Amino acid sequence: MHSLWLIPIFPLVGFLINGMLGRRFSKTVINTVAVGSVVLSFLWVLKALSALAPLNETYVEHYFTWISSGTLDIGFDFAIDRLTMVMLLVVTGIGSLIHVYATGYMAHEGGYYRFFAYLNLFMFFMLTLVLAANYVLLFVGWEGVGLCSYLLIGFYFLKKSASDAGKKAFIVNRIGDFGFSLAMFLIVISFGTLDFQKVFAKASTISPEVQYGSITTICLLLLVGAIGKSAQIPLYVWLPDAMEGPTPVSALIHAATMVTAGVYMIARSATLFERAPIAMDVVAYIGLATAVMAATIGLVQNDIKKVYAYSTVSQLGYMFLGCGVGAFSAGIWHVVTHAFFKALLFLGAGSVIHACAGEQDMQKMGGLMKKIPITFAVLFIAAMAIAGVPPLSGHYSKDAILMAAHARAPWMYWVGVVTAGMTAFYVFRSIFLTFFGEYRGKAHPHESPAVMWVPLAVLAVLSLIGGYAFNIPEFLSPVLPMHGGVHDESLATIATAAGLAGILLAAICYLFVPSIPGALASAFAPIYQTLYDKYYVDELYNVSIVKPIANGSREILWKGADVGVFDALVNGAGTTSMALGGLLRKMQSGNLRTYASWVLIGILLVMGGFAVYGGAK
Amino acid sequence: MSGDTFFFYAFSALALLGGLGTVLLRNAVHCALALMTSLLGVAGLYLLQGAEFLFAVQIVLYIGGIMVLFLFVIMLVNLDQASKLQQFGRQTPIALVVALAAVAAIFSMLSKSAVLLPASVSLTPLTGGNTETVANVLFTDYLLPFELVSILLLVAVVGSVMMAGKRTE
Amino acid sequence: MPANFMPSAAEYFRFAPEIILTIVGTLVMILEAMTGDRDKSSLGYVSLLGLAAAMAAAVAANNDPGLAFQSMIIVDGFATFFRVLVLGVGMLTILVSTNYLSEAKANSGDFYALILFSVVGQSLMACANELIMIFIGIEISSIASYILAGYLRDDRRNNESALKYFLMGSFATAFLLYGVAWIYGLTGSTNLGEIRTVLSHGTAPTAMVGISAALMLVGLAFKVSAAPFQVWAPDVYQGSSAPISAFMSAGPKAAAFAVMVRVFYTSFDSISNQWEPVFWIMSLATMVIGNFAALQQRNIKRMLAYSSIAHAGYVMVAVTSHSAVGTAAVMFYLASYCLMNIGAFAVVTWMARDGEKFVEVDDFSGLAQKQPFVTAILTVLILSLVGVPLTGGFFGKFLVFKAAIDSHLMWLAILGLLNSAVAAYYYLRVLVVMYFREPGASTVNLPPVAGTLRVAMLVTTLGTIALGIFPGLILGFATQSSTLGK
Repeated sequence: MHSLWLIPIFPLVGFLINGMLGRRFSKTVINTVAVGSVVLSFLWVLKALSALAPLNETYVEHYFTWISSGTLDIGFDFAIDRLTMVMLLVVTGIGSLIHVYATGYMAHEGGYYRFFAYLNLFMFFMLTLVLAANYVLLFVGWEGVGLCSYLLIGFYFLKKSASDAGKKAFIVNRIGDFGFSLAMFLIVISFGTLDFQKVFAKASTISPEVQYGSITTICLLLLVGAIGKSAQIPLYVWLPDAMEGPTPVSALIHAATMVTAGVYMIARSATLFERAPIAMDVVAYIGLATAVMAATIGLVQNDIKKVYAYSTVSQLGYMFLGCGVGAFSAGIWHVVTHAFFKALLFLGAGSVIHACAGEQDMQKMGGLMKKIPITFAVLFIAAMAIAGVPPLSGHYSKDAILMAAHARAPWMYWVGVVTAGMTAFYVFRSIFLTFFGEYRGKAHPHESPAVMWVPLAVLAVLSLIGGYAFNIPEFLSPVLPMHGGVHDESLATIATAAGLAGILLAAICYLFVPSIPGALASAFAPIYQTLYDKYYVDELYNVSIVKPIANGSREILWKGADVGVFDALVNGAGTTSMALGGLLRKMQSGNLRTYASWVLIGILLVMGGFAVYGGAK
Repeated sequence: MSGDTFFFYAFSALALLGGLGTVLLRNAVHCALALMTSLLGVAGLYLLQGAEFLFAVQIVLYIGGIMVLFLFVIMLVNLDQASKLQQFGRQTPIALVVALAAVAAIFSMLSKSAVLLPASVSLTPLTGGNTETVANVLFTDYLLPFELVSILLLVAVVGSVMMAGKRTE
Repeated sequence: MPANFMPSAAEYFRFAPEIILTIVGTLVMILEAMTGDRDKSSLGYVSLLGLAAAMAAAVAANNDPGLAFQSMIIVDGFATFFRVLVLGVGMLTILVSTNYLSEAKANSGDFYALILFSVVGQSLMACANELIMIFIGIEISSIASYILAGYLRDDRRNNESALKYFLMGSFATAFLLYGVAWIYGLTGSTNLGEIRTVLSHGTAPTAMVGISAALMLVGLAFKVSAAPFQVWAPDVYQGSSAPISAFMSAGPKAAAFAVMVRVFYTSFDSISNQWEPVFWIMSLATMVIGNFAALQQRNIKRMLAYSSIAHAGYVMVAVTSHSAVGTAAVMFYLASYCLMNIGAFAVVTWMARDGEKFVEVDDFSGLAQKQPFVTAILTVLILSLVGVPLTGGFFGKFLVFKAAIDSHLMWLAILGLLNSAVAAYYYLRVLVVMYFREPGASTVNLPPVAGTLRVAMLVTTLGTIALGIFPGLILGFATQSSTLGK
């Protein structure tokens, strides 16, 4: 035994200590507990991995039988294979860095202990999600991270927008969870188990004709879950709003780890997806569409965090594209490199916002290069990485995905390349607006303390060399064999060129000829406005889904079922007011008789039902 | 039509009409009397079944005891207020339709059955008197329910005592 | 006809829980008269002991399962499970009530006696094997509940609630009784097993058996507040005192479900083609009405009432599946439901305070800052009501929908899952209010959490978590007991 359970338990203990006693602790104690617990679990991951090396086989630890119903047995099991290992290192490694950063970033915020307690709880659920050896346990982590995300998005609860954003995230995710639950039920029906190894073993032996239909359904439902968690079309709307949370949260949960859970889940279920070509195509299309759409929105946003939020949505789309064209390991590779540079972008943005005393609008920044040089340096590296400039990390993973896309269908590659160009453009637009030119704000920018920039520096190094140093697809080849996508120099060059072109274009528009963006915006005002308003998707959802449900439930079901059609007949209007004055009137108005009428109608319906289904005999 | 059948329908009609009267009449005393009629009809049905003991209990307890108590209460309570109230809510037509539909449903289902009731169960001839038989069944086969009903009554008594108890206002 | 009937010791043993409860109930009433004006909380503890003793007797009786009293009583795993459940509900209710009653200056032995008697009725329902016994059980339980609903006589909301509950309840029970009469006429028996035997011959006219089943279903559906017989529940739960709402939403409901499962799975097994579609529609309607009506509620008791309707809908889904897995799901779901619902009402009881002034969802504003303990409790319970993993509520739903899918009720499962997604919204609002709002008038002067109430909160919360992490604790027993003794 390698006591894998210790890995998630450390943060859980941290959560319990800080959550219950944190109010009385000094900040030093809270920091020690919060950061220490995550670092401990990082160290334990390293220890377990060195003991388990080279990890060619999946290593499973069974703790107890969790639930046993009929033939179905669900164990409380943790498992490690190479895929898990990659995720564990990312989650605990980046998690540790962000925890350290947060001690600096949150130093002057209220609810300090609460913040770190939630953050630790998040780590616990995320690690459970990654370590789970079956779908149910994965679902536990899945729901848990959703809950923590909701609590942390709404952390600044005095801001209405923040608590609304929290709610939105939770509810949109429930739609995804609904698909996931259905998928689990279908897996039980089809395979009689929810254990990863058993499901995949059975899936790889069944004959194509018999089961492929149901496997496709399972995969599509799993995809619904992944779409919710990883913010893909049409459920991506919660992620940009989620940026209402504190910046370390955006970096950890909404960029580096939780949102990639959907990609992880699809990669984990690769055996199933490989047997469901239609589902694979859907994954690829959704990923590609999301990547393009989010990138176009990112082009015109002015809030620095919003830009990076849409960028995250777009990059997640890339990962989906990778999985969808069969290059699961490339998708995971992008998860890793994205974790490096996107965490860096967010933390850097946090540092900028910190320096500008909370300002997030890029139009009120500018010229910060000299005032916060370290932040500028790391952000610049991150931007180069995401733009795919060789030999930075993003270049490798993005190339791997684009190669695989080309092997699947060349047009996908070309769309991906254009998106890469847009990505480079909007990221450098944010860099130029923030750091170049004249300072347009009123605050007095100052460099962040060392606890904040040291993690940034580490992430910057990882963003620099992460792609070259860690060849994830090769490492994952025992678990996720790499398909297709022969490396083609000319294709790679085109992709790189697209990135460079994007940077160049941004430089022209925002450094050399600053009049171009305004002229373009007014020349193509309708398009600009549509992009700026994010294609009006939120408004569309509001009108087509939210309002009808709210009104429907109020008008029809509440008033209908409760106050009743009859009540309206009796009183002319619903009177369920529980005001004492209305009480007698209510009782005399025949409310009881109304209820009795309901019961009578019910009886009629029930008897009718029995008559219809059996009376004919 | 044999005498038994005639009396069956007669008593049934009495019970039903009494029931209708209880609901429809406005004067509370009239209602109580109508209820008595209904109970009387039921008592008659008991008699037809050869359940003399139940017949006697029905007459003595319900009509003799409980209903007379009802009448006393009605006379003690001021009923002027009640008679001024609207007797039926406006949902009456709906309720009527639904009730009739329910009756229709029952009858339609009955009419679909080839046999209305299973072949009549031959009654075991009673040994000893009617009272003795009832007692025997009640204290052997149905001892437990019989005892449990006493709990039911106890609860009802506690409840009525509490409801009637002094208010603290 | 000699009176040769003499119950054996084993039969009394199988009936011991009810006997103990009745004796303790009567004892509490006598003690009430003897203690005069002194504090009556001690009577609550006597009642607790009585319930504990009855629970021990119920567990012991399960070692020697079988019939008793001319097959009127059946002791099997299913009966034991529900007996223990309703006894536990009784204990929790007393824990929740004591402090509330003292503050309302209404603490009296009558209250505890009524709780005990009501539990007697529910316990009878759990182990009854005979329609007349079922009827008596329902009536004992219901009449006691009617009185409890109006227990605070000076509170007009209580009065209204009690009157409504009584009239509607009697109305519905009449149909149950009508159905019993029909079935007796058709089969010549009121014993569930014998009815099953007669009906399985297929000689009785199906249509008429259908009517009797329909009529009995009406009575039972009313008790579990399944649509379209749910109209009473919101008014009654809202009008009654919070501890009583907790009791009514748990004990009588669980017992009525036990009866429903036993009657329909045993006696009406052979006409399942008739009742399964009706159950299908009812369960869907119940879920939809409960969840969607709850969306708009501002009063937390009313919201919990609608939510309890919705939960009844989920249980109905499991009943509809008509299988051993479904039975186990019913049992597990009700156990977790009782825990989380009583826990939630315990918090409401604490929050509402004397006179129940604070029963709006918004009254929980900023509770997280003022009273972290209760907030944590309510958070766990709410998450369980939503059905988030690691809670009992999750496994309850999981089992229910698994049962439905096993029985090829795919659409019902899907619609049910959609419903549970809707439910997240209104539950979530409570969390939002607690965590993301500033404390308001209601949260300024919070009362201390009384010891008994604290115990009830902890027991329900830990129980909910325990069921979520180790569902095997009771799932194993439920699965073993899911084949009813027929």
